[in-house]
Amino acid sequence: MSEVAAPTQHAALAARVSEACSEAGLVGEPHAEALAALEAIEYPTTRQERWKYTRVSRLLDVVPNAPADLTAPPAILGNLEALRFTFVAGQYITGDVLDEGADGCFAGPVSLALERYPERLKGWSKSDFSTKEWFAALQASAPQDGVCILVPEGKSLPQTVLAHHHMPNGVHVAQPRDLIHIGNNASAEAIIWSDNAAQSAGMLNAAITASVGNGASLSLEIVQDEPGSVHHMGHHHFTQGSNSHLTLRTATACAHWLRNDLHIVQEGTHANSTFHGCYLPNGRQFVDHHTRIDHAQPDGQSNELYKGLAADNSTAVFNGKIMVHKDAQRIEAYQSNANLLLGEQASMYSKPELEIYADDVRCSHGCTTGQFDKEALFYLRSRGMTETAAHNLLVQAFLAEVLNGFRPEIRDHVHAVFSRRLGWN
Amino acid sequence: MLKIDNLHAHIGDTEILKGLSLELGAGEVHAIMGPNGSGKSTLASILAGREDYEVTQGSITFDGVDLLELDATERAVAGIFLAFQYPVEIPGVSNINFLRTALNSIREQREEAPLSGKDFLAKVKACAQLVELDGKLRDRSVNEGFSGGEKKRNEVFQMAMLEPKLAVLDETDSGLDIDALRIVAHGVNSMRGADRSFLVITHYQRLLDHIVPDFVHVLAGGRIVHSGGKELALELEEKGYDWIVDAQATEQA
Repeated sequence: MSEVAAPTQHAALAARVSEACSEAGLVGEPHAEALAALEAIEYPTTRQERWKYTRVSRLLDVVPNAPADLTAPPAILGNLEALRFTFVAGQYITGDVLDEGADGCFAGPVSLALERYPERLKGWSKSDFSTKEWFAALQASAPQDGVCILVPEGKSLPQTVLAHHHMPNGVHVAQPRDLIHIGNNASAEAIIWSDNAAQSAGMLNAAITASVGNGASLSLEIVQDEPGSVHHMGHHHFTQGSNSHLTLRTATACAHWLRNDLHIVQEGTHANSTFHGCYLPNGRQFVDHHTRIDHAQPDGQSNELYKGLAADNSTAVFNGKIMVHKDAQRIEAYQSNANLLLGEQASMYSKPELEIYADDVRCSHGCTTGQFDKEALFYLRSRGMTETAAHNLLVQAFLAEVLNGFRPEIRDHVHAVFSRRLGWN
Repeated sequence: MLKIDNLHAHIGDTEILKGLSLELGAGEVHAIMGPNGSGKSTLASILAGREDYEVTQGSITFDGVDLLELDATERAVAGIFLAFQYPVEIPGVSNINFLRTALNSIREQREEAPLSGKDFLAKVKACAQLVELDGKLRDRSVNEGFSGGEKKRNEVFQMAMLEPKLAVLDETDSGLDIDALRIVAHGVNSMRGADRSFLVITHYQRLLDHIVPDFVHVLAGGRIVHSGGKELALELEEKGYDWIVDAQATEQA
């Protein structure tokens, strides 16, 4: 990519994406600030620290083709009782809309929420990312449909929401935004699931924006199970009020090329954030988790645990930033990232970043990258397990700390996907 | 059942076994004693198929099969079990899940049908009773946070579950108090039978008060230098190893 040609190329990509999304149907107005940001922000290159290992130049070649086949994909987690919503290529297909009226809970597509409750969604498309990151700005400049969860003050969402985003076969671009707003002292549980068809390609440029009010709680499980060749950009942004609880679990079960940007901002005091993640690229896959938590107020806690494996010729990236602001005293922030390398050609880049401007804080981070414990492997084999069975069990053990936090249906699914992909079943 | 002939083995540049020969018949219990560094644990590791060692000379035949041709998994399938001196902790894998996987993996390789859930649990119950392993330990992660005694009981529990033809006990008595020693010995004794042989590696004679061997061998300098009946253990306890090792040296000179 030459210096001169780059602006034209990425402007052309933006134009193609915008056109494709508009043709399929945008949800709400394009965000003016995002449009301006898209002009102003430099397209990411590996010369930038945040994109050092993440080659987005390959996305410049994405040329989305004609509108997608909007057939609903097979249901996932068939036995789970949930309010289900299905989106294909950024468009709402079907769902169990919950609408308790203007003062009650709402769960449905963003498009419907905008129609019924425009005032409740004021400023909904704003997130820190959309003015700072090129791809997030692109998403906000041509937003598409996703799930909207609104839980007013003091209420609990009566059922888990399961939002299913699917990319069909063919080269497509989709830019869904999921929006979650949990009022003060309210609570909700949700699952956001993305998958795709085996012959799918193109880009899923998806945003999740959530705010968790004072004393509120949100438990969100994100599953990315994408066997096709789609490039996935995830922009996951969370704000938390005082005494709020956020539990966020992300499983990248399968991804051809994926970048997740996660940003949590504790805007109130005594907030608590737990965010765990796991990933297991193989073949030539690429998985990149960039996380950031801002402790902007005192007395907050955060607990971050990411575990992953890189097999064959794959690459995994973990970058975890903890930012403790000047007046955010008595913070407890813990971060841990552990990795197993299973292939001689596999790469793992792990970097903790701690920026601490307060003086009375407890912060710790740990990062390990290793291989299977030979002694454990011998122990298992001496009990008659085949190498395959022993590997499988050790991976299960390695990931248990993260996977056991998910509900059992998801834990079992992700484990099965991992085992199948690595030929351990 | 087991025939070791003139075995030489290295780890790195160090030769540890220097022509070890030993024969075990079916149903026999043999004890191997010897000073530190004589090669006792090396022998146990080689029998179980640990890959750190290189066998440079000699042979091991087990039930007529060349054992050195088999990997660790295949040896377990053939019926060899090693009770580890230092059992490995495997956080995140429950003892039960571990055993079910092991047992069914062995059965699959022997082309036997997997054990039903009910039969498996009945067997777990019976074997756990044998070594007084309580339910909590069965459900906990493999060896994680177990005391020294619990780990060794867990080894014997696994042995009972897997029903090997040849059980190698590598210093199973180390780190055991007298009660745990009695429990472990009881577990082993109740598994003795015409089809099962034991190779008991130990430093101390006290284990052999509880697991009474048919033969006692002294391993020194990488070879069996002396063999005798169970009374040899007592003699060693009293006189130490020097008299045998010295006599051996004189003989060689």
